Amino acid sequence: MDPAPAPAPAASRPGGGLAAPRAARGTRSRPPLGLIAAACLVAAASLVPLGFVVAMTVATGWETAFALILRPRTGELLGNTLALMALTVPLCVLLGVGGAWLVERTALRGHRLWAVVLAAPLAIPAFVNSYAWVSAVPSLEGVLSGTLIATLSYYPLVYIPAAATLARLDPAIEQSGASLGLGPWAVFLRVVLPQLRIAISGGALLVALHLLAEYGAFAMIRFDTFTTAIMEQYRSTFNGAAANMLASVLVAACLALLLVEARVRGSARYARLGSGAQAVPTRLALGTWQAPAQAALGVVAALAVGVPLGIVGRWAAAGGPGVWQTAELGRALGSSLGLGLLGALAATAVAFPIAFLAVRYAGRLSHGLELANYVTSALPGIVVALALVTVSLRSVPGAYQTTGLLVAAYVLLFLPRALVNLRAGLSQAPKELEEAAQALGTPPLLAFTRVTLRLSAPAAAGGAALVFLAVVNELTATLLLSPIGTKTLATEFWSLSSEIDYRGAAPYAILMIALSAPMTYLLFQQSKKAAGQ
Amino acid sequence: MTEQKQGPAPAAGAARPPEPRIAPAAAQAPEDTDWHLEIEGVTKAFGALQVLAGIDLTVLRAGTTAIVGPSGSGKTTLLRLIAGFEAPDAGRILLDGREVAGGTWVPAHRRNVGYVAQDGALFPHLSVGQNVAFGLDGARYRGRRAVAARVEELLHMVALDGSYVRRRPHELSGGQQQRIALARAMAREPEIMLLDEPFSALDAGLRVATRRAIGRVLAHAGVTTVLVTHDQAEALSFADQVAVMRGGRLVQIGNPFVVYTRPADRATAEFLGDAVILDAWLEGSLAMCSLGAIPVRRPTVQGRVQLMLRPEQIRIASDSPIHGTVLDWDYFGPESSVRIKLPERPADPRIPGGGEVITIRHWNAAMARAGMDLALKVIGEGVAFPVV
Amino acid sequence: MTFRPRALASIALAAAAALGLAACGASPGSQQQPTEDPNALTVYNAQHESLTKEWIEGFTAETGIKVNYRQGSDTEMSNQIIQEGADSPADVFLTENSPAMTQVENAGLFADVAADTAAQVPAEYRPSTNKWTGIAARSTVFVYDKTKLTEDKLPKSLLDLANPEWKGRWAASPSGADFQAIVSALLELKGEAATEAWLTAMKENSKAYKGNSTAMKAVNAGEVEGAVIYHYYYYGDQAKTGENSTNVGTHYFKNQDPGAFVSVSGGGVLKSSKKQEQAQALLKFITGKKGQEVLQKGTSFEYAIASGVPANEKLVPLAELKAPVVDPAKLNSAKVTELMTKAGLL
Repeated sequence: MDPAPAPAPAASRPGGGLAAPRAARGTRSRPPLGLIAAACLVAAASLVPLGFVVAMTVATGWETAFALILRPRTGELLGNTLALMALTVPLCVLLGVGGAWLVERTALRGHRLWAVVLAAPLAIPAFVNSYAWVSAVPSLEGVLSGTLIATLSYYPLVYIPAAATLARLDPAIEQSGASLGLGPWAVFLRVVLPQLRIAISGGALLVALHLLAEYGAFAMIRFDTFTTAIMEQYRSTFNGAAANMLASVLVAACLALLLVEARVRGSARYARLGSGAQAVPTRLALGTWQAPAQAALGVVAALAVGVPLGIVGRWAAAGGPGVWQTAELGRALGSSLGLGLLGALAATAVAFPIAFLAVRYAGRLSHGLELANYVTSALPGIVVALALVTVSLRSVPGAYQTTGLLVAAYVLLFLPRALVNLRAGLSQAPKELEEAAQALGTPPLLAFTRVTLRLSAPAAAGGAALVFLAVVNELTATLLLSPIGTKTLATEFWSLSSEIDYRGAAPYAILMIALSAPMTYLLFQQSKKAAGQ
Repeated sequence: MTEQKQGPAPAAGAARPPEPRIAPAAAQAPEDTDWHLEIEGVTKAFGALQVLAGIDLTVLRAGTTAIVGPSGSGKTTLLRLIAGFEAPDAGRILLDGREVAGGTWVPAHRRNVGYVAQDGALFPHLSVGQNVAFGLDGARYRGRRAVAARVEELLHMVALDGSYVRRRPHELSGGQQQRIALARAMAREPEIMLLDEPFSALDAGLRVATRRAIGRVLAHAGVTTVLVTHDQAEALSFADQVAVMRGGRLVQIGNPFVVYTRPADRATAEFLGDAVILDAWLEGSLAMCSLGAIPVRRPTVQGRVQLMLRPEQIRIASDSPIHGTVLDWDYFGPESSVRIKLPERPADPRIPGGGEVITIRHWNAAMARAGMDLALKVIGEGVAFPVV
Repeated sequence: MTFRPRALASIALAAAAALGLAACGASPGSQQQPTEDPNALTVYNAQHESLTKEWIEGFTAETGIKVNYRQGSDTEMSNQIIQEGADSPADVFLTENSPAMTQVENAGLFADVAADTAAQVPAEYRPSTNKWTGIAARSTVFVYDKTKLTEDKLPKSLLDLANPEWKGRWAASPSGADFQAIVSALLELKGEAATEAWLTAMKENSKAYKGNSTAMKAVNAGEVEGAVIYHYYYYGDQAKTGENSTNVGTHYFKNQDPGAFVSVSGGGVLKSSKKQEQAQALLKFITGKKGQEVLQKGTSFEYAIASGVPANEKLVPLAELKAPVVDPAKLNSAKVTELMTKAGLL
């Protein structure tokens, strides 16, 4: 249900559907060794960044490490980051849940349209949003500007799962709340809101992780976070000790977030119990609140979608047709598409053994493997990139500065997007179907391809599309790892906008948004389906 | 593996026409016996869990065998071993006298075994027609028309018409899905059909109808059938050989009437249906209990025993020395279930028990008012189990 | 023959997984840039991308040798080259400032500059070791908001900016190699203690921007009164639309002040390069007449320094800047990063 790294516990449960009643039977047999080996290999690779951070801290020596970690600059960055989170996460939850509630549970006029519009900011990369704002209002800087841009960019991460959950929420629960004498507002607070706990905590975790990982958006408005500071250190010292130590603090912060989220989420599952058709939820009449609700959503949409699109469009218009007619634009589009495709294919292929283990042989092993990947994907791109730079330089010099290494970074960063989808797809293709095909005279390998691969293909394609979207908009790791001469839409956009060539950057922004829009819509649609599982 | 070692019991007293096909060790069987499926000493463990602890079972050609047992007894695993989805740890499996598991291994797709799963396992991405045609022998049915004709024929076999060809599995009811799954499995003209609880997902009414329809199709085609179920009524009505499974072992194999009326032990008795168990004193072939002296067939023990009767054997009589007091009753249409308390002390001091509460069935609810005193008599024989 | 069904499935899955991993591993070969050419040079470029692109285009037009480049910043790339050591894919390294060159030189990774190239560049823009050569120069400048500051209120020296009265009034881009080069000159001229004190004061007094152009833009927008940057950002903007420098005045510290520091951009050929000849040819082209004329006539507004090509006529001539004399070989970038990290600027 999550657009990006889905928190482990939610995703590691076997999907429902056909597989559920028979799942127990599959689990009793032991998974094939080749499968375990492949999945372990992937999990081991995914632990490289964590291992790197630990190894670097040890190699730096405790004394130096402490000196580098316990300096005032770290405190300053921590303060900035915490302030940003303290402001942005609640705002995102407020906007996300409020928007979702209005769209799904009230008689909001045009709620179908609003449902899509509110998800739309996800198609605008945060650094493009930042570029739009800062080029229009150059004085934007600091934590409040950071909060503004981050909130507008990331609230859909809460909105989408919240809306999906609300849409699937059994209205009978609300009705029984009402029958127990609660007013509408009390029903929302005491019945509906608690059911959104998973959506909210998961969404808030994603927002917080994005805040930790984002480079471009904050660099543009001169707001220092750990990631921007690591990038600066990198640009001064390549992979020096100071950068690595900041990275280890950043990793610690990410892990802490995962733990906090796991705590908040708790072990409870809110699902519809029992079978039977679900009633269509009744929508709350807004009455005199219709106009204020429309206005509030209008403001959000104007700020989050209108402003960036308008300003990007303005710069593009000011640039005229000239800015479109550069060889660089075509080349960058080509590399972005190529890398996106490669990343999507690789992530899907690598996710396969893990998803297969998780669905067909659910157990402690498969859970652990999945967890390893989720933890890695929670790490910021800069940490993963730094780790791969160092490890490849020292251990696999042949891989250094190759497309392969960049794709490997994409796989580590975005694997869960492929994994979550593939898992859902594979649970639609239970073992029984494969066996049925075998009993009908199909050899095992052919049965596997004709039934299991075929049935999980749509979900795999959905996951691949999401990885593609992420790769196209990835900036930090691409800056560090791209092979010589490879420029993507994101990196070209970044170098142009850093030199304040706002006009030249506009076509890149437009292409990124154009590529992201259909994927965002796909994600939005998928979330609606996934929420019930 | 209790009764089967004792060899076939004489069929005396069996009310149903088919002779019991209690499976003895293969060697004891007549030379010309046409065994279609032979399972010898098969074991299977998943990790530390021993799921099958030595299974011997033989199935006659064109016979219908039901493997019945509570969930977790290992019956589905046994079926999967026959199908070739799993390999046994020890022992061997023969189809048509040919070894398919044990020393040699024949994979599922080369066993020509039909298999219908609990939910039908129809391929959701294929239409009904494509599902049925999935396993068709491409060499025999060349061209679209030949395939279409065969598909239609198969659909007719399960009483569905050609209009279903283009439908998708999710558009069908559960019963239709099961019938299509059967048609699909029949497409390869298997000599043996394995049914893994194929009716359990269906509603009660549909379950019986589908079971009859499928049973007819299989009987008509003369296909050897093995059905796995946890529903004893289903097992008793469907099969001419019932194998009762518990804890990874076959505790009794025999014809439905025999296993129902003469279960091997108390647990089997209670699993196969409601049972009235009374403390009794057995002397010769007469068991004395709170319901009087009940004849017992070929008793293996003497003295203190537990006597098993089926509730329907206990009737309300107009006149009988045995009395009981109605405690309460449960009315459900065709009959009532009546709880009766037997007298505190039996007349004869040698007889154990007394004061037991038994449940019987009776068609006339008016006969059963709380506090009423009823005269009771027992029809037929009881079964004696040693006291544990 | 015992052939278990799961064995087959496991082989299939392992194959699928291997395929996936191979896709990442093998792709570098199959997915290399279409421009891949065994004779192409690889430049690690920390100079302005647009400037280097002009040089490369001129060079390829003249010699037919293709050039790929990796864009980065000075010390990022110098550290990268040092880490890569003999395996570095780089043939030529171009920087904005000399400290990064010195760093690579000290690691012993540069080949000697060819004699004909050295002959084109005056000795003051070359290290005595001849391991690299100057290719362009840029001057430190204090840009200020003309609407807020008059000439008499301008700082007399870079060191004045450490005084409390400048608190919150000036900006810089401390993460950039440009500013770090200025600090390295300060370090060389005034010593470690003074530099450390100045940096500590700077952390207190200055606003940090990312990039010199952003800093200048902030001055123009009135966000801050002045900024320590390099001269060409101002001229570059003036030559375009001037929209980011309408209100901006330039103030050169002169008087051999650390703030009058003229930084030499360097170029060198890596010892590990297997295309020494082509690499030296590129260096020769850049320091030659055509290469220097790119500086004189182009939009970079950096100073031409070699082959007798004069600076762009819009610029204040180098001779008038009264820059302090600093031996480029003595500028220590590692120490600067360390001091700036210590001061909390990085």
